[in-house]
Amino acid sequence: MTEPILPPLKPIPIKDRVSVVFLEKGNLDVLDGAFVVVDKDGVRTHIPVGGVACLMLEPGTRVSHAAVTLASRVGCLLVWIGEAGVRLYASGQPGGARSDRLLYQAKLALDDEARLKIVRKMYEMRFKEKPPERRSVEQLRGIEGVRVRKMYELLARQYGVTWKARNYDYEEWGSGDMPNRCLSSATACLYGICEAAILAAGYAPAVGFLHTGKPQSFVYDIADIFKFDSVVPVAFRIAAKNPRQPEREVRLACRDAFRQTRLLHRIIPTIEETLAAGGIERPKAPEEAVPIAIPNKEGIGDAGHRG
Amino acid sequence: MLVIVVENVPPRLRGRLAVWLLEVRAGVYVGHVSRRIREMIWETVEKGIEDGNAVMAWSTNTESGFDFLTLGQNRRVPVEMDGIKLVSFVPEGDQGNATDIA
Repeated sequence: MTEPILPPLKPIPIKDRVSVVFLEKGNLDVLDGAFVVVDKDGVRTHIPVGGVACLMLEPGTRVSHAAVTLASRVGCLLVWIGEAGVRLYASGQPGGARSDRLLYQAKLALDDEARLKIVRKMYEMRFKEKPPERRSVEQLRGIEGVRVRKMYELLARQYGVTWKARNYDYEEWGSGDMPNRCLSSATACLYGICEAAILAAGYAPAVGFLHTGKPQSFVYDIADIFKFDSVVPVAFRIAAKNPRQPEREVRLACRDAFRQTRLLHRIIPTIEETLAAGGIERPKAPEEAVPIAIPNKEGIGDAGHRG
Repeated sequence: MLVIVVENVPPRLRGRLAVWLLEVRAGVYVGHVSRRIREMIWETVEKGIEDGNAVMAWSTNTESGFDFLTLGQNRRVPVEMDGIKLVSFVPEGDQGNATDIA
């Protein structure tokens, strides 16, 4: 067997990447080892997939096997989204690459005391103040709900938007009013990068603390910490302008907000910080377990990246 | 950081660019200049380009960390995807107009 000429592909850290790229139509394929989108006229567009945290695939895209392989090898999350940001399905970056982190997360989630500590930490990070003492997770959720509704109202008033409530029919896009539509679009961007970061850090998106029972429970937990200082004001600001292409405007503004708040730099440290609040040590491998035969190679990516 | 690549341009423009920038390969110029100087250089390229084509890329405060401008006909055409600028490669015989999209 001949030696490969180029060194093997490795993922780069999430913080060194561009947040999201949206692809609307075309065939996603690999040509000469590069990730390309080919449209019906044969126009090829290279996507620097290794430098993107997640790719949002809108209806009208087809993905080849080679393209998914390449995306997963460089640690880019593929998210299939419905019309303008209603999520359908996500894959492309295999999750659960680190059993020690998965077990740690699961242990924290199963321990009532640790879970409460983490939920309190999330509350504190979110509202920049400590939650009231001696409250259960259930009660904290209640307080949080009230505060969130207040914040929506406040922001709506600040940007001069008519606001009724956060409601939308997730099955039918366009059923919500303008602010709701902008909010859905903006949160979809945020969820995408949060999920990419959670996977990159080696945790499971499904094991949530405040949220539960959804494939993205932990994604919602983490996204909620950032939601009100990034995407929600953006969504209301755009909604107030009543634009003709709200989704596009929202994405552009979200991109600016992510850059200005250095979200991709903060997101993994925040995940670690929240989990550390649980006060439990990371579990060690049991003594009787079979140790690794081939030592892991030093990677330049995040802990959860394979390769 | 500023990079300019020119193709098929008159020698006088290439000579002029070499006044301010370092020509590291045929038609590839590298330098580090302020915004005003960059705009002045790009104006020079616009004036002297004739039938050739050029691209100028520089580091700036966008999400990708750089931005670029193109001039003249080329099979590589800049496209904008919700705030990220990428490049499309047009098949032969169907040449796009590689003017700036911004």
